[in-house]
Amino acid sequence: MSTTVNAVTCPVCGCLCDDIELTIENGVVVKVKNGCAMCESKFFNYKNEHRNKTPLMRKEGKLVPVSYDEAIHKAAEILANANYPILYGWSSTDCEAQRVGVELAEEIGGVLDNTAVVCHGPSILSVQEVGIPTCTLGQIRHRADLVIYWGCDPWSAHPRHLERYTTFTEGRFKGSEWKEYMNKVKASAGKKKLLSLERREIVKRKPEPIIEKVTVNKPPETLGKAGRKLIVIDVRKTMTAEVADYFIQVEQGKDYELMLAIRALVKDHELDVDQVAGVPVEYLEELVDAMVNCDFGVIFFGMGLTHSAGKFRNVDVAISLIRDLNRRTKFAILPMRGHFNVTGANTVSTWQSGYPYAVDFSLGYPRYNPGETSVVDVLLRKESDAALIVASDPASNFPRKAVEHLVANPLIVIDPHMNATALLGDVVFPAAIVGIEKAGTAYRMDHVPLPLKKVVEPPEGILSDEEILSRILEEVRVIKSQRMQEAA
Amino acid sequence: MELLIKNGFVFDPINGINGEKMDIAVKNGKIVESVHDRRAKKIDATGLTVMPGGVDIHCHIAGAEVNTGRLMRPEDHIKDTERKTTLTRSGVGYSIPSTFTTGYRYSRMGYTSLMNPSMPPLEAKHTHEELNDTPMLDKASYPLLGDWWFVLEYLQKGDLAECARYVAWMIGTTKGYAIKIVNPGGLESWGFGRNVHTIDDKVPNFDITPREIMCGLAKVNKMLNLPHTIHVHTNNLGLPGNYATTLDTMRALESVATDGKPVAHITHLQFSSFAGDDWGSMRSGAEEVAKYINAHSHITCDMGQVIFTDTTTMTADGPFEYTLYQLSGHKWVNSDVETETSGGIIPFHYKRNNAVNATQWSIALELALMIEDPWKIYLTTDHPNGGPFTAYPKIIGWLISRKARMATLKKCHKKAQKKSLLPTLKRELSLYDIAIVTRAGQAKALGLKNKGHLSVGADADIAIYNVNPETTDIARKYKTVRRAFGNAAYTIKDGKVVVKDGEIVQHVDGRTIWLDVQTAEQVKVDEEMKRRFREYWTVEYENYPVTDHYLKISDPRTIKADV
Amino acid sequence: MITLTPLKQFRFPVMAECINPDVFQGKSVDEIVQLTVWEGNKQKKLGDLFKIEQTPAETPSIVINGNVEEVRRIGSGMKSGEIVINGNAGMHLGEKMAGGKIIVNGDAEGWAGSDMKNGLLEIMGNAGPYLASPYRGSSTGMRGGKIVVHGNVGTDAAVFLKGGTIKIIGDAGPFMGFRMCDGTIHIEKNCGTRVGACMTGGKIVVSGVLEEVLPTFTIDSVKAKVKIEEGDSATGPFYVFIGDLAESGNGKLYVSKANNPQLSTYEKYL
Repeated sequence: MSTTVNAVTCPVCGCLCDDIELTIENGVVVKVKNGCAMCESKFFNYKNEHRNKTPLMRKEGKLVPVSYDEAIHKAAEILANANYPILYGWSSTDCEAQRVGVELAEEIGGVLDNTAVVCHGPSILSVQEVGIPTCTLGQIRHRADLVIYWGCDPWSAHPRHLERYTTFTEGRFKGSEWKEYMNKVKASAGKKKLLSLERREIVKRKPEPIIEKVTVNKPPETLGKAGRKLIVIDVRKTMTAEVADYFIQVEQGKDYELMLAIRALVKDHELDVDQVAGVPVEYLEELVDAMVNCDFGVIFFGMGLTHSAGKFRNVDVAISLIRDLNRRTKFAILPMRGHFNVTGANTVSTWQSGYPYAVDFSLGYPRYNPGETSVVDVLLRKESDAALIVASDPASNFPRKAVEHLVANPLIVIDPHMNATALLGDVVFPAAIVGIEKAGTAYRMDHVPLPLKKVVEPPEGILSDEEILSRILEEVRVIKSQRMQEAA
Repeated sequence: MELLIKNGFVFDPINGINGEKMDIAVKNGKIVESVHDRRAKKIDATGLTVMPGGVDIHCHIAGAEVNTGRLMRPEDHIKDTERKTTLTRSGVGYSIPSTFTTGYRYSRMGYTSLMNPSMPPLEAKHTHEELNDTPMLDKASYPLLGDWWFVLEYLQKGDLAECARYVAWMIGTTKGYAIKIVNPGGLESWGFGRNVHTIDDKVPNFDITPREIMCGLAKVNKMLNLPHTIHVHTNNLGLPGNYATTLDTMRALESVATDGKPVAHITHLQFSSFAGDDWGSMRSGAEEVAKYINAHSHITCDMGQVIFTDTTTMTADGPFEYTLYQLSGHKWVNSDVETETSGGIIPFHYKRNNAVNATQWSIALELALMIEDPWKIYLTTDHPNGGPFTAYPKIIGWLISRKARMATLKKCHKKAQKKSLLPTLKRELSLYDIAIVTRAGQAKALGLKNKGHLSVGADADIAIYNVNPETTDIARKYKTVRRAFGNAAYTIKDGKVVVKDGEIVQHVDGRTIWLDVQTAEQVKVDEEMKRRFREYWTVEYENYPVTDHYLKISDPRTIKADV
Repeated sequence: MITLTPLKQFRFPVMAECINPDVFQGKSVDEIVQLTVWEGNKQKKLGDLFKIEQTPAETPSIVINGNVEEVRRIGSGMKSGEIVINGNAGMHLGEKMAGGKIIVNGDAEGWAGSDMKNGLLEIMGNAGPYLASPYRGSSTGMRGGKIVVHGNVGTDAAVFLKGGTIKIIGDAGPFMGFRMCDGTIHIEKNCGTRVGACMTGGKIVVSGVLEEVLPTFTIDSVKAKVKIEEGDSATGPFYVFIGDLAESGNGKLYVSKANNPQLSTYEKYL
């Protein structure tokens, strides 16, 4: 039997495209329409990956299958006894599970942190210092005539970003630049073909004198054209840069200087230097003209900005630039959030505790100070004595020393897959895949909440993150009240 | 469960009860004629003041804007924390408390119902998710509809009936309660960084004026028989000289008023009652505004009192927040929402020794005292814009006591003191008046039939305060009253004692009230509608509505519309 | 004088804002033992974690013997008295302190002297990040008093500095004096990148090497000497830069001429 489900929200990246059409046959997704390659891979492959079929517990050094009841009791015992537990992950699950997560963290006096701490958490620190002029993605579709991607490559990481929300969309006031892009791609394909022919020595051409050095970072004539313009600023020429009207190659680690210089130029100051971060100041002046003269501009920034030298101060200067530009025209800025619900993790944590990540409940009330209460730092200082990891794999992306401390203490993992962290865990729960086997809510990178659908049944007997967490919380309360009775 | 509140001084203005000593009986969450004398739990309210539970017609407590405010202000939270107890969740204040803390703090002041006035429809799920985590209170939200493209287009075409059908659809879809209009036309203009400056300015790209938007939606409101009027945040809010715009707005709405009943609620009126030409000459326009409202019956309003403290301003009025950013240079959030609205947030410290801030403080009180009928103006701070709601007891103090407000005025900027009309205002509100401006009047304006009074059949939402009206000269002992209203002796929600002596004794979840507006002919959801949806928004039609999943306790009110 | 000796090497963070001369003032040892602290998520008494002894000497008011790098908020908000720590100190040491003196014979973790108003904080070893800088989201910053660090200082020190003096005998990390508007910083050795970014006022003096000045600083002059505070000045000659232009700022950045020949290209603008 074949059924079609439409308007499915894709649980992969922060774009949260919600126009996916799935065809389901015999409880399996057989066709994915409208999705990008990442989306298709998620919906086709979720079953083939290393799914864990039953809870596991480490006994005599080996992970052995146990019942949910046994695993939940063990997990609750570990957490209820801990003096400084950490609860980490959360970005790849739904808000419903995240809500229980905050309550659990509070109940056990733990440190709650989400993966933002290793991606856009630094951006939030800047928002807390200077604010953020931003908007939903539809505003950009309807109004933006200048789109700048800085330190990010949506073409690879958020494949449908350009076609759904920015340059290649048809808005009410601004049109799509799709056609122009097609021409460009054709031209570029032609060029590539020619090069390949040359390489294979089928065609011979006189080598042209290379004058690259001079033209590098030179703005094209088209920067002054009407219609939408796409500018990419990055340390290397990415796929997105290939289609851009103007690509600025910034010297590695010099984004801060470049942006700061642009700020000074927006304010009509003169600089004592001829070039900044490898870009001649006269070119920057043309860039500033394009910025100031647009109707509606936007900067999207990615990890290229938040994780290069300067870290969150890079975002500080980017937002400050947008603040300055708003005195001249309309401008917005958005982070390119990675995991599909990292925004939700920040959102839920904020409404319940006041803080978006790195929340320490050890004193009975929420405390927040990334650097002090962020999980990576807690691990590096070897302070925690137990950990609960939900829908994340810190063992493969945290610093080695942090991972060492993580696994040196009781480790509870809730994840659909047997990832590296799960393999090192002491109690491991399989979970239903959110957005495929479990319905819920996720927040798009621009804070628009969207429902996630359950399109197929989870493997038999497999619970969701939300259910597992609720049961652990319940069990923790039972253990604590028993302990209070004993004490009395 | 049965409950008998014995011997209290009852203030129930909707029923004209003014401090009479009487018993209130409660059964199954409702007020009843009588209860079984032996079975009922008794509360001895001898020497105490008994009122219906407090109702707040306008407080920003949940949703995208509020939460971004929370996110950007860790320095606001760190100074005000709430530890977890066996009954309550932990949280933080100060000006934008976390959701649980918001619920507890309102409840501790004897409040039981709140209106969250600023819900971007696209992000309505977020608002409702937060409301689910705001305990102790019944809640409702107003979707922002004044700059929604559908509204602009149908009003511009003059198709009121179709506009009404879409508004009805939107209220049901977002689980909303009333039509919110913020700086009509200004928010759409702000999409390209512009604004409108009079009610007759044309909105860029749309052939329509703020006047047409407001009058059109006021008519739609009537056609739909909505319980509340349109809820208006005026054009030019927060700018010197804007009282003229406010007068224009109210005059424009006269044309919609036919039966002597209110057709519009002008919210946080203080921010719309500035006279003067610039910040230097800014002064109060309260006299002119109050005079107009006294002479007309089609307007209700609320104060928007300013408190001298560090708070966080947040409104859908993006251009206004931008003005504040230009003035202050503070951290600034702007967040425009496609097809619908905009928004902005700025931390702001109102200071006594700042002439403008002190004048704002004075204006709100002048309005509350000069508008003669307390059923027309209600107590709010536009939380957290004028200050956090926890300052309500302070405002009660200023309203009931000339001594209290003069004491504060004396500490204000000299220029503001000189311009203030407060020294000439002798009026002191009674506890009966306070019951009107903090609950009865608000419930009436909202059309909340079961709230704001203690008649048989009403929701058993009751507040008991430790004030003996017989023995207390409240104008002189305003500090006693302030303390009492800050820490209710009892708060009773749906017949359950939830607060005792200012402490939470039971955690309860409140309901989410929303309107199911039934129009004779409904909006057609066909392929054309879905296509239009895709064109206007970046989400699919199917994923737009707030489904029942997002309401912990749903309380729909069915309304029969005239279209 | 009260002597505190940790009873063990602390593993979990210890919150001990009660270790403060103003709090100890007038209390007997028995009372001090009863003061509340938190170790991880457990509430404890100060006496559970420290051996507490009293000696008749008047100063210093409190001596801590041993490493207490997990003990946070020592001397938070203190107004008077003197604390000597013979070992390393934890985060938020002397945050918001308004008077008195703290001496650390060791290193101090992050946020030492955060938002300090007055008094003296002297760290004989190194200081962590955010020295004298405000809490997240706050623009308060240090407003007065003096901080001396004999070793090196981490990143983001003296952010939003509004007054007082900071002397660093060693090296300083990046973003020193970010958004500062007044006050004086003297770095005797080398300085990290982006010093003085977004500064609008105040004075930063770098006697050692500063690889690169931000492009938004403009050269003003060369000066032979610059005053740090009453009775203390640094000898140059120094290039004097004004910035940060991105904030239309008027802060002064003094950079040693002798140690920074790479900056000589700026001389053409003089």
